[in-house]
Amino acid sequence: MSTPSALERIESTGLSTAIREGGLPYPIIGGFHLLSIALFGGMLLMTDMRLLGWALKTRKVSDVWQMALPWKRLGFVVVVATGLLLMWAEPVRLYRSPSFWTKMAFFALVGLHALVFRRGVYAHPEKLDAGVSSRAKLAAAVSLVLWTGLIVSGRLIAFDASFDQ
Amino acid sequence: MNSAEWVFPAVQSLHFIGFAMSIGTIAVVDFRLLGFGRRYLEPSQLAADLAPWTLAGIAVMLITGPLMFSTDAVSYHLNPSFQFKMICLLMALLFHFTLHRRAVRPGVGPLPAKLAAATSLLLWSAVLAGGRMIAFV
Repeated sequence: MSTPSALERIESTGLSTAIREGGLPYPIIGGFHLLSIALFGGMLLMTDMRLLGWALKTRKVSDVWQMALPWKRLGFVVVVATGLLLMWAEPVRLYRSPSFWTKMAFFALVGLHALVFRRGVYAHPEKLDAGVSSRAKLAAAVSLVLWTGLIVSGRLIAFDASFDQ
Repeated sequence: MNSAEWVFPAVQSLHFIGFAMSIGTIAVVDFRLLGFGRRYLEPSQLAADLAPWTLAGIAVMLITGPLMFSTDAVSYHLNPSFQFKMICLLMALLFHFTLHRRAVRPGVGPLPAKLAAATSLLLWSAVLAGGRMIAFV
């Protein structure tokens, strides 16, 4: 498969080489990637499970939402920033990895999910305090499926043929 | 587990969901002890709310982890990153169920609470970093 020359140019930049071959930088960035997955994923699980009525049922939906929101935001920013750095380090191998493209497809669906459910569900969590609408439950269920897909496809990248060493 | 190639990544993904649930909830309580985040709940209430999910996440972690270890026990055992991770994990778990559990109770002074929160964050970060390093060393 031919590789876009832009990716080869990225791979020859100083930053890319430093992350890829520098020893410590890659695992440190990877460690922060994991830490932000814990923060973001943990809070996503709690809010989605609250909407589905599985967790924190004694607390109002809007309270759980407000508790989790700053950490979801912080986690999201860090997970995307560290993810971009990890992509910058080995764009050619990722370009050839089917699981990477699966992961990016899930990421696009996450964006679509946010667009679809923002107005009816996420913009006004206080409206769900009286009772969680079936639309909100659907949003939570889809969100759990999408983020599980992101995790699984992300893990599978390491097992793709382009990553055989 | 070595027989089908999809099993290992599947168990690893469960491991990720387990640590997201446990370390994510622990981190939020620690940040609250350090004074960050919404204040509608006391740290003790927040910790009590999240504790069952922290435990569930730890259980998933402690089931999936040994399963992955069993696929290649000798290499893991000899891997310095794995050894580092296990020492940090042991300390993190011990700390979580002893001093940390006391630090989230109502009426604990701000300094001991903050020290406990910072120690907890440091130990769990070391576990994650050590885990990430296993593939490289």
